[in-house]
Amino acid sequence: MLNILILCPIVAAILALLGAPARPAALLASLINLVVALLALFQYDKTGPAFQFVSEFGILPEWRLTYLVGADGLSLLMLLLTAIVTFAAVWVTPAVARLEKQFYACLLFISAGAMGAFASVDLFFFYAFHELALIPTFLLIGIWGSGDRQSAAWKITIYLALGSFILLLGLIGLYQSVPVAARTFDIRALQELAAAGKIHPASANGVYLLLLIGFGILISLFPFHTWAPKAYASAPTPAAMLHAGVLKKFGLYGLLRVALPLLPDAARHWTHLLIILLIGNIIYIGLVTISQKRLDMMLGYSSVMHMGYIFLGIASLNTLGLNGAALLMFAHGLSIAALFAIAGQVGRRTETLAFEDLGGLAKPMPFLGFAFGLAAFASIGLPGFANFASEILVFFGAFQSHVAGSPFFGFRLATVLALWGVVISAVYMLRAYKAVFMGELPGRWSALPDLKFSLRLPIVLLLATLLFAGFCPRVFLAFLAPSVKAASFRETLS
Amino acid sequence: MMPAIYLEAIVLTLGVLLVLMEAFSNSEEKTPVAWLGIVGLTFVFILTFFTANDLSASPYSAFYHADFRAIFFKRFALLTTIVVLVLSIEYRGVVQKYVFGSRPQAGLGEFYALPVFTCAGLMWMASAVDFIMIFVSLELVTISFYILVAYMRRNAGSLEAGVKYLILSALSTGFFVYGITWIYGVTGQTSLEKIGAILLGLKVSHGPLLFGFMLVLTGLGFKIACAPFQIWVPDVYQGAPTPVTAFLSVGSKAAGFIVLMRVAEVFLPVPWINHKAVTILVALAALSLLYGNLAAMPQHNLKRLMAYSSIAHAGYILIAVACIGSRYANIAVSFYLAGYLLMTLLTFLVMAAVANQAGGDDIVHFNGLGKRSPYLAFAMLAAMASLAGIPLTVGFFGKFLIFYVAYEKGQFLLMGIGVLTVAAGFYYYFKVVRAMYWKEPADDTPVRTSPLTGATIAALAFCIFFLGVYPAPVIRALEGPPSDNPRLLAR
Amino acid sequence: MNLNDYLAVSGLLFAIGFAGVMLRRNIIIIFMCLELMLNAANLSLVAFSRFHVSAAGLPDYNGQMLVFFIITVAAAEVAVGLAVIVSLYRARRTTHVEDITSMKF
Repeated sequence: MLNILILCPIVAAILALLGAPARPAALLASLINLVVALLALFQYDKTGPAFQFVSEFGILPEWRLTYLVGADGLSLLMLLLTAIVTFAAVWVTPAVARLEKQFYACLLFISAGAMGAFASVDLFFFYAFHELALIPTFLLIGIWGSGDRQSAAWKITIYLALGSFILLLGLIGLYQSVPVAARTFDIRALQELAAAGKIHPASANGVYLLLLIGFGILISLFPFHTWAPKAYASAPTPAAMLHAGVLKKFGLYGLLRVALPLLPDAARHWTHLLIILLIGNIIYIGLVTISQKRLDMMLGYSSVMHMGYIFLGIASLNTLGLNGAALLMFAHGLSIAALFAIAGQVGRRTETLAFEDLGGLAKPMPFLGFAFGLAAFASIGLPGFANFASEILVFFGAFQSHVAGSPFFGFRLATVLALWGVVISAVYMLRAYKAVFMGELPGRWSALPDLKFSLRLPIVLLLATLLFAGFCPRVFLAFLAPSVKAASFRETLS
Repeated sequence: MMPAIYLEAIVLTLGVLLVLMEAFSNSEEKTPVAWLGIVGLTFVFILTFFTANDLSASPYSAFYHADFRAIFFKRFALLTTIVVLVLSIEYRGVVQKYVFGSRPQAGLGEFYALPVFTCAGLMWMASAVDFIMIFVSLELVTISFYILVAYMRRNAGSLEAGVKYLILSALSTGFFVYGITWIYGVTGQTSLEKIGAILLGLKVSHGPLLFGFMLVLTGLGFKIACAPFQIWVPDVYQGAPTPVTAFLSVGSKAAGFIVLMRVAEVFLPVPWINHKAVTILVALAALSLLYGNLAAMPQHNLKRLMAYSSIAHAGYILIAVACIGSRYANIAVSFYLAGYLLMTLLTFLVMAAVANQAGGDDIVHFNGLGKRSPYLAFAMLAAMASLAGIPLTVGFFGKFLIFYVAYEKGQFLLMGIGVLTVAAGFYYYFKVVRAMYWKEPADDTPVRTSPLTGATIAALAFCIFFLGVYPAPVIRALEGPPSDNPRLLAR
Repeated sequence: MNLNDYLAVSGLLFAIGFAGVMLRRNIIIIFMCLELMLNAANLSLVAFSRFHVSAAGLPDYNGQMLVFFIITVAAAEVAVGLAVIVSLYRARRTTHVEDITSMKF
C-alpha cells in the first residue's frame, strides 16, 4: 500500500517524460495517492503494532540494510499531508509555457521523495528518498522560477546539499554507535536498542548535534535559514507549496522519528542550544518578516518563523509538546501551502507582489480575499484552525517542561517569548492582508477575474482540512499519541 | 573453472590479432577492428565469471593473486576498455582529421588496438602482488598511454598533452622504481607478502625503508592524480583525445589505486609506519579534496572540469585508503572506483556525442541540451547527479561508504573537509545541469548518436541508478557470497 | 668498496637526474635526466643484490631480474617518448618547455 504511494508518482513522472499527457498523468497520480493515503488512514489499526503496512526487500542483509516501508500514526499523518498538498499543487499549476513534461515530472519526483521519506522505516532510504527532491527543486526554481531565480536556486541547492551531508554523517554516527553485532538501519530495531540502553552514550551528544545541524539546515533553523525565503519567493507556486508545505517537514519528522527517540539524553543535553536557536527563529525572523515588502518574501520568512514553534514543541520533550509539534507540522504544511497557492494566483493576475503596488484586491476577487484571510488566520493561530489547537499544546507542553538543574527558567522564558511571536505573526499577516486586499484599488486592476470555480477546489480542500483538524484535533491526536508515546521518551515532568 | 591468468593471455592475443588485422587487411574501413575488439573483450568479460577465484596452490601465487578483488578489477578494466572502444568509434572523425595518412582511415586501426594492450596491463596489475610484476604492468599501461595521449599528431593540444604526460609520468616511474629499490634493499624481497612478513618483524623505525615507502607513495600519487602530484592532469585531460581522457581518468586511476591498496595493506599494519603514513595520506586526501573541488569551480571547459573533478575524486578515495584497517575500507575504495567508472564514462560518452555536433566541449556547448535531445540530457543529468553524490545513485553509495569508514576510523578532519567539498562539488556539476536545462540552445537540431553509443549510454545510466539502489552485486563481487565469508557468518 | 659507496653514487645520480628534470628547459635533456633516474635505481638494485648474499654464497637474483625489466621498459619508453618529442618538434619547431603552453588554467 505504501509502495503505491511512492511508485505512483514516479511511474507517472516517467510516463510524462516519455510523452504521455503530462497534466492528466500528474493529476491522476496525485488523486490516486490521496485516495490511497486516506484509505491507509482508515485501515490503520490503532490497537495494533506501531508500524503497519510493512513491506521490505533486503538490499544488503549483512549490513541490515533493507528497503523497508511502514507507517505509524505520525508517518500516516505526514503521508496524508503530502498527498493533499501534492494534489493541490498539481491542480493549481497554471499552463506551463516551456518544458511542460519536465515540470510535472519534477513535481511528481518531489512528491515521491517526500512519500518515500515519510514511509521509510530504514534510515538509509529515509535519507535517500528525501534527497530525490534536490535536483527537481534546482530545476524547478532555475527553469520556471521568477525574480532572482538563479541565485535562489544555487543557494537552496548548495545549502541543502551541505545540510544533507552533515545529516549523513550524523546518521552514520548513529548506525555506528551501537555494538557491531547489533548494527542495523531498521528504525524499529534501533528504537528497541535505544530502550535497552545499547546506544553508546559517549558518542550520543556528538551524533545528536550533527543530526540537529543537518536537520536544522533542512528545516531552516535559525541561523541556517537564509536559503529558504529567497527560494520560496522565486520558486514557481507549486514548487513553493510542496517545498514549504511538505519537504521542510522532513527534517522535523526526522527529529521526531530518529533523533529524539534514539538519543533522548543527548536531546536533553542540547536543549539550551535549541531553545536559543528557536527563539532566534521566532523573534528575530518574526521581526524580519514584519519588515518584508513583498508578499512572497513575507510568506517565505513566515514559514521560517513558524518552524520555531515546532522546535519549541520538540524541545519540550514531553508528550503534550511533542503531540503539539507533530500536529503543528501537519497544520503548518496545509496553511503555508494555501497561502502560497493564493499568493501565486494573485501574482499571476497582478504580475507584482510588492505591497506598495497592491491594494483593494478583495473587491474584484472576493474569493481569493476570503481564502487568504482564512489562511492568514490559520497561520496566526486563531481558534478554530488546527494551528491553534497544536500551538496551544506546544505552549502548554513547553511551559510545563524544564531542564533539570537549569539555572534559569529557560522554558518558561522561551514560552513567553514565543507567545509574543503570535503577536508578531498577527502583525505581519494582518498588515499583508491589509496591503493586498484592503485599501484603494488601483484602477487598472478593477476588472481582474476572481479565481475560477475549478481552481477553488484545491484551496477549499486545504482550508477545510485545517478547519476540520481545528475543530476535532482529537481525531488526529488519536493517531499521533500512540506513536509519540511508543517512541518511549522518558518524561521530564517532575 | 579456468585459471585467471588465461584472461590476460586471451586479451593480449586479441590485441596482437587486432594489430595484425590492421596491418594485413586490405579494407579501407577500420571500424571492424574496433568491433572485433569490443566483441572479444565482451567475451573475456563473460569468461571472468567462470574463473577460479583462488590460485593459492598455483605456481604463480608468489606474484599473481586472483582473489575477489583482482577479478573485480579485471572486469573493471574490461568494461572500461569496451566503453572506450565505443567512444573511439564515436570519436573517429576527430582522430581522422588530425592524423595524416595516405588513405582516409589510415592510423585508426592502432587507435582501436592500443587500448586492448592497456587493458591487458590493467588486468595484470589487478593481480600483481610482486613489485616486479607491478612495475612491468604499470609500465605496459603507461607506455601505451604515451602513444594514445599524443595520438592526434597534427593537433598541437594532443602533442603538448603527450609530452607533458610523458615527462611527468616518467618522473613518477623514476620515483616508484627508486622506492622499490630501497624497499628491496632493506628487506631483500620484492614480493609484497614476504615484505609484509619481514616488516612485522621490524620493531623500530627504519629510515631507509620509510624513505622507500614514501618514494613509492609519490610515484603512485602521480598515477592516481592526487594533489600535490596533480600538475599534469588538467592539461593532459584537456589535450588528449576524448576516449583517451576517459580511459586515463578511469583506467589509470583505478590501476594506481589498486596498487596503492595492495602496498598500503602491507605497510599500514606496521605500527611505526602506520602513524606517519596515515598522516601523509590524510594530508594528500585533504589537499586533493580542496584543490580539486576549488579549482573545478571556475572552469568553462567540461574536459578540464572533469580533470579537476578527477583530482577531487582521488581525494575522496584517499580518505578510504587512509582508513585501511577499517573493515570496509577496501570495499569503499573499490566501490567508489566502480561508481566513478560508470559516471565518468557516461559523461565522456555524452560529451563526445555533443562535441561531435557542437564542435567543442565547453560547458556552453551543452546549452539547451534538455530541449535538443532530452535523452542525452537525462543521461548527463544522471552522470552529474552521481558525480555530485545524490542519493539513489551509485556515486552517493560510494560517498556513503567513504564517510562510513572515515567515521569508523575517527577521521573527523577529513569528514569535515569532505562534507564542505561535496557541497562545493554540487556547484560545478550543477553548472552543467544548468546549461542543459536553464539555458536556451544555440540551435534546435537534435544531437545524433549511433545506436551503439545510445545503447551504451542507456546501459551506463541504468547501472548508475540500479547500483545506487541495489549495490549488492558489486559488494558481492568484492567480498564473495556471504556464506563464503567467515566474518559475516560470525554475526 | 662497500654497499654505502654504491648507494651514494646511485643517490647522486638520482639527485642529478631529478634536478635536471626540474631545472632544464630542453625536453631532450629532461628526457635524458629521466633515464638517469632509472639508471640510479638500476645501480643501487645491482649493489643491493650483490651484497644480499644467500647461504649458498650466491647473490640475490631477484634484484637483478628487476634491473633487466627496468632496462627493457626504459628502452620502450625512449622509443615511444622520442617519437612523441620528434612529432612535437615537427609540429611546433621547438623542444623548449617554455614554448608549449597553449593550455592554461
